[in-house]
Amino acid sequence: MIPLDHFLILGAILFSIGIFGVLTRRSAIGILMSIELILNTANINFIAFNKFLGAGDGLGQIFALLVITIAAASAVIGLVLIIAVYRNTKNIFAENINLMKW
Amino acid sequence: MVKYAHLIPIFPFLAFTVNILFGRRIKKASALVSIAASFVALLFSIITLFGLLNGNGSYSLGKWLAFGSLTLNFGVMVDPLSCIMLLVVTTVGTLIQIYSIGYMHDDPRFSRFFAYMSLFTASMLGLVLADNLLALFIFWEGVGLCSYLLISFWFERPSAAKAGMKAFITTRIGDVGLLIGILILFSSTGTFSFSGLEHAGGNYALFTVAAFLIFSGAVGKSAQFPLHVWLPDAMEGPTPVSALIHAATMVAAGVYLVGRTFWLFSSHPLSLIWVAYIGAITAFFAASIATVNNDIKRILAYSTISQLGLMMMGLGVGGYSAGIFHLVTHAFFKALLFLCAGSVIHAIGTQDIQKMGGLLPKLKVTGVTFIIASLAISGLPPFSGFWSKDEILSEALNTGHPVLFIIGALTSVLTAFYIFRLIFLVLFGKMRSELHPHESPKVMIIPLSILALFSIFMGFIGSPFTGYAFQGFLRFGTASMPAAPRPDHFMMAVSTLIAVSGIGLAYSVYILNNKILPDSFRAKFALLYRVVYNKYYIDEIYEFIFIRPCILLSNLAFRFDSSVVDGAVNKSAGITVMISELKSWFDMYIVDGIVNLTAKIINAFSRLLQLIQTGLIQFYLLVAILGLVAIILFKFMGGV
Amino acid sequence: MNSGLIQQLSSSVFYIIAGLTVFFAIRLVISRNIFHSAIFLAMVLMGVACVYLYLGAEFLAIAQVLIYVGAIVILFLFVIMLTASIHDRAISQMNKQVLISAAGAAAFLLLIIKVIKAGSWQANNPSAPELSIKELGKSLMTTYVLPFEAISLILIAVLVGAIVIAKSGKR
Repeated sequence: MIPLDHFLILGAILFSIGIFGVLTRRSAIGILMSIELILNTANINFIAFNKFLGAGDGLGQIFALLVITIAAASAVIGLVLIIAVYRNTKNIFAENINLMKW
Repeated sequence: MVKYAHLIPIFPFLAFTVNILFGRRIKKASALVSIAASFVALLFSIITLFGLLNGNGSYSLGKWLAFGSLTLNFGVMVDPLSCIMLLVVTTVGTLIQIYSIGYMHDDPRFSRFFAYMSLFTASMLGLVLADNLLALFIFWEGVGLCSYLLISFWFERPSAAKAGMKAFITTRIGDVGLLIGILILFSSTGTFSFSGLEHAGGNYALFTVAAFLIFSGAVGKSAQFPLHVWLPDAMEGPTPVSALIHAATMVAAGVYLVGRTFWLFSSHPLSLIWVAYIGAITAFFAASIATVNNDIKRILAYSTISQLGLMMMGLGVGGYSAGIFHLVTHAFFKALLFLCAGSVIHAIGTQDIQKMGGLLPKLKVTGVTFIIASLAISGLPPFSGFWSKDEILSEALNTGHPVLFIIGALTSVLTAFYIFRLIFLVLFGKMRSELHPHESPKVMIIPLSILALFSIFMGFIGSPFTGYAFQGFLRFGTASMPAAPRPDHFMMAVSTLIAVSGIGLAYSVYILNNKILPDSFRAKFALLYRVVYNKYYIDEIYEFIFIRPCILLSNLAFRFDSSVVDGAVNKSAGITVMISELKSWFDMYIVDGIVNLTAKIINAFSRLLQLIQTGLIQFYLLVAILGLVAIILFKFMGGV
Repeated sequence: MNSGLIQQLSSSVFYIIAGLTVFFAIRLVISRNIFHSAIFLAMVLMGVACVYLYLGAEFLAIAQVLIYVGAIVILFLFVIMLTASIHDRAISQMNKQVLISAAGAAAFLLLIIKVIKAGSWQANNPSAPELSIKELGKSLMTTYVLPFEAISLILIAVLVGAIVIAKSGKR
């Protein structure tokens, strides 16, 4: 059997890769993809804990299902926004969207 | 009855207050207020006289000032001398004020004039009733003030304003002497009152000096040489003022003062002789100027100076009653002379006698009263002036002063001469210019007539016909006066001769050889004529000796003030400006600098912090992640 | 058969799949070509689905593949193709924060691993019973019906919002 730690470590690795991607990707779409990665990592954690430590009600799985839904919704919105921004400024590089600069 | 004597000055003073405060509203009625007050004062004076005859003499009114060990008492002096003065002042004053209704009729400051006249009357009456030197001095200054106010009554004329100042300043010089004299007497004896001083003794030399000083006050007020210069210029005032103040009453105050303090002079013969000689010199000197002057009022002014000199001379030789008698008669005929002159001026409009002539047919009453007054002043019997002048001359001779007698006699000749010169040039002969004279209104004529009556008959009260009642009255209640004079027929003849010769000389010069003789005299004695005509250049000498240095000094003081004092003020202002500039620099650069620096520092810091707000999400996320790492690390290190 | 061998086999397969997933993930965040990134994303998601299988969550694995790979990735691809003009292969996809982010991510990873290692999990005893789909569905509709409904609300909001935003550009 694969111990819980390993699942968690896998999750941690993927999570930090996802963090790295969020912080460094220039294209907004790239950032969104990294965010999906992170969410999936969270899901892994949920399922793992559900399997090893959870009560019998499958809370972890349900939560993971909900997370998938939410992730999908946020991806949709994000992409629509990217399209809107692209229409306006022809430019979706994150470093150029700095209207909130001082 | 006499206990009410102190009310006598109160009535004119009330009239003054009323006229000053309500003059604008009551206008012409102010004259009535004044005259009524004057007349009531006259009535009270008569009552006081009778009271004196019944034995009511001086009395005290009570304590006035008290400081330390010294108390000044205030009282009223009721004795023959003061009674006589009261009657003279009130009578002449009332008549002149009645005359003024007509003379000042068109003047815009009509009520102010009568207010001043009332104030003067009140002060003069107070002076006469004062029973101590201090009160006398106070009223002395009061009459001086009124004189100033009335001389410069028409102050729009610069000559009138200057004349007022000249009068005030010149009499001031005399008043300083008077004050010092009073203080010397006070410091020696500790009292101011006449009765107290008379009975106190003191250092002979000191008292002599005091007598000289008191006389200097009289010199100033009575316009004796050398302080006579103000009186001719005082003719700038209205003619009634000249008549009342500068002929009849105020100038007589000096003579009154000498009379009041006569015991002081007679017990220090040096001062008495000084009085006599000053009087004699003044008399002759002024008479000489009057003979060549061409202004009616100035001739009369010099005449006044001359007659006052005669009075002083009379007192100075010991003739107490002679001097006072002449004062009384002079008051009436001099007032009359001035009022006639005023009438002539009012009729013609000029004061230059060279422009007048032949006025007698046109100005009948004025002319006749003018002649009566001139006869009185010349000393022709039986007019009033004869009796008084005769007594002075006889006193001078009989007390062993022949020089004074001769000077007095010559003066009398000149007096008769110049007064009839005036008469002949003004009333007789041809009219020398194109002027249209008219007789004055009744309100001016009636006082002239009354004064003329006095001029004719006043002398009799001091004559043998009444047994020398006047002189006797003066001795009333005292035992220390000289004996009554006896009729001196020799002297009377001499006096008559003097008068006639003077008149005759004038007649011959001006009527018979009209103009030829004066011109030839003028040509022959050109230099002498010029000197006398210019009043012996006294005014010019004073100007040079006294006035110029004084003006120089005040200029110096002014320049000192404006350069040094104002300079110091300006410098200190400059220093203040400099200091404030410094402070403003300090405030601007340092204080504001600190404030600005603070702002700049904060600005720099915020600039620094602004770098965090890049507007880039990824940057923010990075910071968040790093922060999280840091916290976990911290936790691991065993931190907080 | 030897269950230990099967177990060992399944464990090693798991590690292989895990390694592949990580590999693809790395390539996902590094690749210059967005298109490639999208494909790698699909790979990663499938790998995660396999991990779910290993954890006994079959329904979730299927759901994962269906939703994520089937819909989301397709969506990504559409958007990539819509914005293709600016995704030039020549431009580097890394921004300026690379080094720091790498360091931060590495530090984070290390710390998390430390935390995990320090935790006292009952690691080796999978005690939870495996749930069937039937059980899962019942649980979803009864005990956890509130989140379920909330999720539906969210989905409606997302739908409307997406339409609105996508539409507003046309005006």
